[in-house]
Amino acid sequence: MSEINLENVEVAFDTPAGTVVAVSGVTQRVPAQGFVSLVGPSGCGKSTLLSVIAGLTKATGGQVQVGGKVVNGPDRGIGVVFQEDSTLPWRTVLDNVRFALQVAGVDKEGQLERARWAIELVGLKGFADAYPSMLSGGMRQRVALARTLALEPGVVLMDEPFAALDQQTRIFLGAEVRSIWQRSAQTVLFVTHDISEAILLSEQVWVMSYRPGQIIDVIDVDLPAERDPSIVSSHAFNELHNRIWTSLQEESMRGFRQQEGAA
Amino acid sequence: MRTAAMAHQSKEPVTVPETTPTGTAAAAPAMSPRRRRRLGDATFSGIATTILVALLAVLCEIGPRAGWWGEEVLPSTSSIVASAADLLGQPQFWGDAARTSLEIGLSIVFGSVLGLLLGLVFWKLPTVGRIFEPYLVSFYAVPMVLFYPLAIVVVGINASSVVILATIMATIPVALNTTVGLNGIRPVYLKLARSLQCSPRQLLTSIALPAAAPFIVAGLRLGVVYALIGSIAMEFVTAQAGLGYRIRYLYEIFDNQTMFAYIFVVLVVSMILTALLVAVEKLLVKGRTQ
Ligand SMILES: Nc1ncnc2c1ncn2[C@@H]1O[C@H](COP(=O)(O)OP(=O)(O)O)[C@@H](O)[C@H]1O
Ligand SMILES: [Mg+2]
Repeated sequence: MSEINLENVEVAFDTPAGTVVAVSGVTQRVPAQGFVSLVGPSGCGKSTLLSVIAGLTKATGGQVQVGGKVVNGPDRGIGVVFQEDSTLPWRTVLDNVRFALQVAGVDKEGQLERARWAIELVGLKGFADAYPSMLSGGMRQRVALARTLALEPGVVLMDEPFAALDQQTRIFLGAEVRSIWQRSAQTVLFVTHDISEAILLSEQVWVMSYRPGQIIDVIDVDLPAERDPSIVSSHAFNELHNRIWTSLQEESMRGFRQQEGAA
Repeated sequence: MRTAAMAHQSKEPVTVPETTPTGTAAAAPAMSPRRRRRLGDATFSGIATTILVALLAVLCEIGPRAGWWGEEVLPSTSSIVASAADLLGQPQFWGDAARTSLEIGLSIVFGSVLGLLLGLVFWKLPTVGRIFEPYLVSFYAVPMVLFYPLAIVVVGINASSVVILATIMATIPVALNTTVGLNGIRPVYLKLARSLQCSPRQLLTSIALPAAAPFIVAGLRLGVVYALIGSIAMEFVTAQAGLGYRIRYLYEIFDNQTMFAYIFVVLVVSMILTALLVAVEKLLVKGRTQ
């Protein structure tokens, strides 16, 4: 089983304006089959941290272990869904999903079978032969999700996958992600800047601070496993929301002032 | 007017200013991939072109008959078409046509391959690209015919010298467009490739080339046009055979009638080639109607 272990992870970038410490001293754990959301003001280092876990960015300090193995580079056991639209416009939905399997060396029959399964899983059955340009933004993100899930990775990292979508679509897709997770044995780390989304989806929420990017608060979400959107009006939800909102607001203000000061 | 250098900064395929004595860059502005976004565009321009050509043919028919200009200036359409039909039965015409076709064909092949390779090198080695791209861009401003004497000294007066210069002309738009296309690949595609652990070959064939395809195809289209312009222009300037050479020769012996027949044939062939290129381009980038 794949748990994610972060040990004193630090990422610093050398820029013309000096060294930017994007992530600093992050020591956290996502339990195997857990669902953790990471919230924080924009520019605080969420994507960077995710990228380190995915093996796409090298940490300048500390280390990351996934399933007990130190992460040194990309790994097909770690799936990523990017914030930007990553569907390939020259391939159909089916071929987009198949691409991941093709690269992984799955034989043709297996490619088709698993791609069809993943496409059905994200609710895109009937669109297999469509090109991404014919689909809405929400459907394209589902294609990207299907492509990641087709490889059946033990760990799924999602970087604000629904940030560009409207509220309704976002709630709907979020519920879908959670239900897929519930039926799987996957470990999920989900980046979002939407507090409600974080609470609705996850078992635990990490709050990240702005420069240096540290985890300043960890909140367990003690809500029932089955969460329909009406839960947002419950007292428990509001308490969680308030707590995260308070830590975030201080951070956002601080980040805003820092940026203003730098400009 | 946009210069090639400026065009290169932008995200659009490089369009090319006029560079050769006989070449016009009229085809260049039509090369933007944006053109494909509006459906029916091709049909519209097809109909418009047909009407324009028909009007021009009628005008050229009436002109000499009504005495607006003499037959020796521009013969009537019907007589040009008749002489052109005559040409098709002459072995000399086919000899010239074969040589010119060979030159154009070779320049297209060499220009495309070289251009693609250069584009890939400029993309993979950005430092090399930064050093050599400006030279390539400024090559546009140099009338290639000026290198003809040099080419003759090196390889002699034969088809090779024409092919060499036409190849250079065809290479440049392919190389520049390929570079622009590859450098414009959305970073998320490269991140995806890394996270899926694509091999270098998979990265090239499944991500880089398809992602840059609209630009590359536009570049190839320009390359073909430039191979054609280059070959005929070089023949025209100095060669001992080929359609371009024949046109100049007929001009020098005042055989206007046959000269216009040759020009007519070249025009028709160029138009057919252009139409074919548009069709091929459509086929290559089908499906992504973004
Ligand atoms: N490759 C890079 N080079 C230099 N600075 C970077 C790079 N990537 C990210 N940063 C900086 O690191 C900080 C965190 O970025 P990021 O992780 O994208 O934030 P978030 O995803 O939380 O919005 C930002 O200030 C950003 O400017
Ligand atoms: Mg981000």
